[in-house]
Amino acid sequence: MSNRVYNIMFHTHTISGIIISAALYVIFFTGSISFLRDEINAWERNEPINKDYFATADYDAALKSLEGERSLYGRDISFTHRYFERRVFTSISQSKDTSLQKESKPTGRRGNFMYMDLETNEQKDYEATYSMGEFFYRLHFFAQLNFFGRSGYFLSGLVAFFFLFAVVTGVIVQWKKIVPSFYVFRPKAKWKAIWTDAHVALGIIGLPYQFMFAVTGAYLIIGYTVMLPPVQSLLFDGDAEKLQSTMAYGEPPKFSFVGERLEYPVKMGPFIAETRKKWPELELNTLQIFNYGDKGMHVQLGGSPSFQDRLLGSGYLIFRASDGKLVYQKDPYNDISYVEGATDILRRLHYGDFGGYGMKLIYFILGIVTCFVILSGVMIWLVARDRKAVSECKRNFNSWLVRIYLAICLSLYPMTAILFVLVKLFADDFGDGRRDFIYQVFFWGWLVLSTLFTLRRDNYFTNKACLILGSLFGLMVPISNGLVTGNWPWISFGQGYYQIFVVDIFWTVLSLTTFITVFRLKRKKTSPIRTVPAPE
Amino acid sequence: MPANPKYLTRSPLQRLAKITAGFIGGYLVTQTFHMAMALWWDLGNMVMTLRFGGFVLWAVLMILAFLAKNGWKVWGLYLLISLFFYLLIFLGKTTDTFL
Repeated sequence: MSNRVYNIMFHTHTISGIIISAALYVIFFTGSISFLRDEINAWERNEPINKDYFATADYDAALKSLEGERSLYGRDISFTHRYFERRVFTSISQSKDTSLQKESKPTGRRGNFMYMDLETNEQKDYEATYSMGEFFYRLHFFAQLNFFGRSGYFLSGLVAFFFLFAVVTGVIVQWKKIVPSFYVFRPKAKWKAIWTDAHVALGIIGLPYQFMFAVTGAYLIIGYTVMLPPVQSLLFDGDAEKLQSTMAYGEPPKFSFVGERLEYPVKMGPFIAETRKKWPELELNTLQIFNYGDKGMHVQLGGSPSFQDRLLGSGYLIFRASDGKLVYQKDPYNDISYVEGATDILRRLHYGDFGGYGMKLIYFILGIVTCFVILSGVMIWLVARDRKAVSECKRNFNSWLVRIYLAICLSLYPMTAILFVLVKLFADDFGDGRRDFIYQVFFWGWLVLSTLFTLRRDNYFTNKACLILGSLFGLMVPISNGLVTGNWPWISFGQGYYQIFVVDIFWTVLSLTTFITVFRLKRKKTSPIRTVPAPE
Repeated sequence: MPANPKYLTRSPLQRLAKITAGFIGGYLVTQTFHMAMALWWDLGNMVMTLRFGGFVLWAVLMILAFLAKNGWKVWGLYLLISLFFYLLIFLGKTTDTFL
């Protein structure tokens, strides 16, 4: 590689990296937390869930409770278990009976969809079911920044794309000495060497993971909105439905509404039993009813194989309600198209849901390692420019920038722990105000912490204080849960409330780890940040 | 230390040319390439590939634009390639080779 290529790659890597750094840190940090999205929700609501929850639920009771508020005749109803939570996504369409359409009110407070606990048949709307799991999951792709249309999604997608650019240019920069520099670690050397060694070694370890996340992340959040508009207008004359139909797979046929009521009520149990008999290993996650109560009523039961059996594919059976006959099926174990396989594998890779908690732990550690790679990159950027040849004014700007970046990024950890504790202690019966409470606590707290740390002008202090605060509040997470719900870790473990147990243990281990780290921190005399004299 | 400025583009106009050529021109090539591929390959598969693989090709084209000596030449080249693929798409559409 010529010097020219090396230097150009180096420069593009530096610039793209420093521009996205803080945003990318937030994405990776909140994304790592979101690996436990469903567990966090179970913990927050104190709603443990059984292994076969969705398949063993009583849908007849659920439908009866839905029927209490509206006539279900002629409607399409679906229960979707996308997240492993007690509250199941439930949607109800308009009735296809024209005489009923008039009397049904326009979309009310509960709207056409809601969340339903299939154990208690309690119905909640989106606001009332808003949770920390949802919050971190959505912060992970900047949903809260959707001020103009989908600006937040777009921003996070662009960050993912430039992250891909930075990953590839970073590899090219290291290419010539990739093996020797992987083994170099000089903890006693100057800061510049320490940051560089750490950045390179951890960057190489995390490389496949980071590349995968850059691609799958860009695909998930802007793959459609950025990549497909030209295709839609050029090949499909602007017809979005036509475009979507080329990527559709396994669509069920349409079942028409007859207009005559069934004489007797239909029970869901036999359909579930038949599906489980046919595919015992299938993990059921959808139950759809077409034309409820009508002679044209059909019931669809769908699911995906467990990750132990298969990574790709999903399937379903459709029964005709009037005589209980199987009328249509999509086999989850055979004939997986390219589009379906690609969709499933990209999602699985990104969510890390293909190996249980062990895989999630590896994903989490690699996610935090990536956070470190991002920050060490920022530190290299700072230290490399902290020289006599660089003007005082520029050096001042640089150290302020890094100070602000570090304050924003590092205070995420204590803020997350604080949010967990406060939500558990105070927001238990907040109902509709949950989202406001989470927003107020998290964003104001984050702003206050980062401002204070920035004003303190001492990166060593920021780091140490964030670790201490994070550890203290992190240790309070299981305690607050025990005090409020009585589900102390040993109780939730004994009762088999694994999701709740996992969250408590996660915080305990994380806090202890960061606590030990704090005690091993020593201020280095040559701390580069202090070499820039603070303006009086 | 920071990259040696000796090797970097100093003219702001050239910089602008390279950045836009990589970002916009690279996008055009990525789009037209995938659409033209659909002449030989299944349309749905191509659209799916574009949604994730497109980003990789786009990033590589951006890198290539930065490596070039003259940003305007990259613009020219990317436009020519896009035009070529566009012609293929146009022919494919008029002869109904798609779908």
